[in-house]
Amino acid sequence: MTAPTSSGADLPVRVKFAMYFRLLAMQGSWNYETLNGTGIGFTMEPALRYLPGGIDGPAYRAALARESRYFNAHPYLAGIAVGALVRAELDGVEPARIERFRTALAGPLGSVGDRLVWASWLPFCSLVAIGVYGAGGSPMGVVGTFLLLYNAGHILLRAWGLRIGLSRGLHVASALGNPVLRQGPQYIGCAAALVAGVALPLALQRVAGPGLGLVGGIIGAALIGIVLLARLREHAEGWRIALGVLAIFVLYSVLT
Amino acid sequence: MGIHLYRIDDRLVHGQVVVGWGQPLNARFLVLVDDLVASSDWEKELYRMAIPPEMEIYFADVGGAIRDHARYAADPRPGLLITGDIASMYRLVKGVKAIGSVNLGGIHHRAGRTAKLRYIFLTPGEEGQLHDLEAAGVEVTAQDVPSARAVPLAEVLEGESQ
Repeated sequence: MTAPTSSGADLPVRVKFAMYFRLLAMQGSWNYETLNGTGIGFTMEPALRYLPGGIDGPAYRAALARESRYFNAHPYLAGIAVGALVRAELDGVEPARIERFRTALAGPLGSVGDRLVWASWLPFCSLVAIGVYGAGGSPMGVVGTFLLLYNAGHILLRAWGLRIGLSRGLHVASALGNPVLRQGPQYIGCAAALVAGVALPLALQRVAGPGLGLVGGIIGAALIGIVLLARLREHAEGWRIALGVLAIFVLYSVLT
Repeated sequence: MGIHLYRIDDRLVHGQVVVGWGQPLNARFLVLVDDLVASSDWEKELYRMAIPPEMEIYFADVGGAIRDHARYAADPRPGLLITGDIASMYRLVKGVKAIGSVNLGGIHHRAGRTAKLRYIFLTPGEEGQLHDLEAAGVEVTAQDVPSARAVPLAEVLEGESQ
């Protein structure tokens, strides 16, 4: 039996760490029925043991069942929901209010996360890695740069989310107004454009090598790419394109 | 310009709406039609945070949306309109008349619903509501993101066999 805790913010550090590490595995149970709902329940579970009655009590079972239902949010920002919902459950907020809050929170977390990560951070990291290739980096250097940069972003984002959720509980809306989340995509987009301007010519120069033999082919391929993007329009997704271009450069550098 | 997409999605504002549809349509405003959200200040605050700075959000209950629809439609900027359930969209369609097509973007699993597509789960009652929408002269298709195929209602109701 575990001693009752009055608030999510008062949880022992080991419980917060347990929730954090479970956050990393949250998508493991993703499915089309509950999406990441069961992952949310799994991540909250170490804290729910502190409900009155512990793991044998009705409060624990009801909360775990409630929190494992359908939920859809960006996985890197789901820590905000996990923290806020843990605090609400431990503070004894009435279930109907928790469910309404849970429903309302999912969409904004998805929207903010998609803009920040899929539409900004991931393409930015891909372009930096292409820049490393252009600067003469090895295939391992290119892949390593991408993985280090990209993972640093989401690991920090998850930690911040969990902390802010636990500390603010149901008043977490103002955290979504954080300048990093609101203006971040715009600034990362500008930085990505700058990096693209430097990285792509360098990378193409490395592909072309000395002389002008491949220049015609590169210009032709670029023109075809531009026409394809213009024709595909809404069917083209930025993160897929960025990862695809990165993969082509890595493959080319391995094969040559 | 006006409203380019009328969407039913129980997640209301989320990534598929803001990034998936909002960016290619260059949407500059979003009308969120939901009776409960329209009367809840804390929920409105949450949804405001979901919107990028370059986009404006309007909250309305169904009655308000019917009343203000002409203003949304005359807006020079491209926009999106979302309801969280089929019944709200049906009431809107009956009240406005000018709505020619409705997009099913996400109606997710809940007790009593069965899977039709991976993002569409319906009760028999909701299937009837969708038939009513189509009978009102509205083209109903399911399409979660622009890069996916628009699935006609008849095909949606046939279910996962497709």
